[in-house]
Amino acid sequence: MIRLDAVGKTFRGRDGVPVEALRDVSLDVAAGEFVAIVGASGCGKSTLLRMVAGLVAASTGTVALDGEAVAGPRAETAMVFQAPTLLPWADVLRNVTFPLRLMRRAGAGTEEKARALLDVAGLAGFESKLPRELSGGMQQRVAICRALVQEPRVLLADEPFGALDALTREEMSLELLRLWAARRMAVLFVTHSIPEAVLLADRVVVMSPRPGRVADVVEVGLPRPRSFDQEASDEFHRCARRIRDRIFGERAARAA
Amino acid sequence: MVALFAVWEGAVRFFGIREFLLPAPSAIWAATASVWPTVLQHTLATLGTVLGGFAASVLVSLPLAMLIASSPAVSAALYPLLVVTQSIPKVALAPILIIALGANEAPRIIVTFLVAFFPLVVGTVAGLLATPPELIELGRACRAGRVQELLRIRLPFAVPFVFSGLKVAAALSVVGAVVAEFVGADAGLGYLIQTSMAFFRTPLAYGAVVILALLGILLFQAVALAERVFFPWSSGAAQAPPAA
Repeated sequence: MIRLDAVGKTFRGRDGVPVEALRDVSLDVAAGEFVAIVGASGCGKSTLLRMVAGLVAASTGTVALDGEAVAGPRAETAMVFQAPTLLPWADVLRNVTFPLRLMRRAGAGTEEKARALLDVAGLAGFESKLPRELSGGMQQRVAICRALVQEPRVLLADEPFGALDALTREEMSLELLRLWAARRMAVLFVTHSIPEAVLLADRVVVMSPRPGRVADVVEVGLPRPRSFDQEASDEFHRCARRIRDRIFGERAARAA
Repeated sequence: MVALFAVWEGAVRFFGIREFLLPAPSAIWAATASVWPTVLQHTLATLGTVLGGFAASVLVSLPLAMLIASSPAVSAALYPLLVVTQSIPKVALAPILIIALGANEAPRIIVTFLVAFFPLVVGTVAGLLATPPELIELGRACRAGRVQELLRIRLPFAVPFVFSGLKVAAALSVVGAVVAEFVGADAGLGYLIQTSMAFFRTPLAYGAVVILALLGILLFQAVALAERVFFPWSSGAAQAPPAA
């Protein structure tokens, strides 16, 4: 459903020197598939995500959704950022419905749907709270609800749990999986945590930095539903080691 | 406050300072209270100018700030002009305006506006431009146009900044009104101060100064109250760290 074909991106730096962020990235994501993207910082993961979101245009190659080139932000994609990026002046409920209201897609059932999602995310009773009254984890849950209420067919997540503490992070990963299992949208999930990527994804795309390229694609053979018990399994270790070797092997080769 | 007035009163009596040099608080009160209908009339005249100038500041500053924040080119064209209006001493400008516009309320309101509006523009522009890039990106991801982005994201985000600008503008409006009244007016507390001093009625002039201070405080508090009532999330929001 998402098809990246030989995508490259070159930014012009502040000093006018072009910086190549991505080179020759090709990737196919099927409908309902969960794909994680891992890599060291500066490997263009976020740029890749923003291209699929239609926020950044590719310099070379094509990004297509359902065979249609992505020219700008589309209704069937929704994005979760690293920071919750909630509107400080709106309460939780209005934050969740904000994108739909902004796109004039809010209808009679919107509020009901938002409440139901908040309920699933463990935020029932917090609908009229302001973001600053919530903890970081709760704020990020609101941000995820805000993306899901749009009923996207593609969910783009840019290190959504990056700013959370380790415990909240694990809890949120499983919650995200539950929400995804109930809806079955395609997910493109950028992270720098290898265990997180293996636990969540069907496939893990490993990227190498400067310029960002696809170094490897690892199929995760763990059965679903996933749980943290699987972290002890051989398959989990095999995937994690392969990803780690790919990332650090390159670094070691570069240092030599 | 009370101690200050007590020391003041005591010192004036003890050293026998003459009234036209430094009147005692009791003398100020007596002089002001004895002619209170006149004082009230002057106060209302000043209040009219202050509110008129303040309202003009709000009406001009907010759209102006939006225009400046909308593009670097507009900002580069307008900011120097604004700085010019701020570098001209308003006391010097007031008589020129009165000759040009006649001795009526208009030049006074314009002078008040010129004194008060600048911090409001600067504050609002700062707020509009301080909107976090992630919020802007969220808007773009939701296919918001430039107008939507301005009205639904940037402007609400700027509210705390607008209110700090409004508080400064409120206090400065009082200053502006008095400057205007010093130069050309037949009513108002600034006029009262000038005529009182011309006749060595120092206590009454002091009384007018005290009322001006009260007006400033009142207007400032009114703005603060409006912020707390209508934008409860705003008070302290610009500084408050997010709940961790």
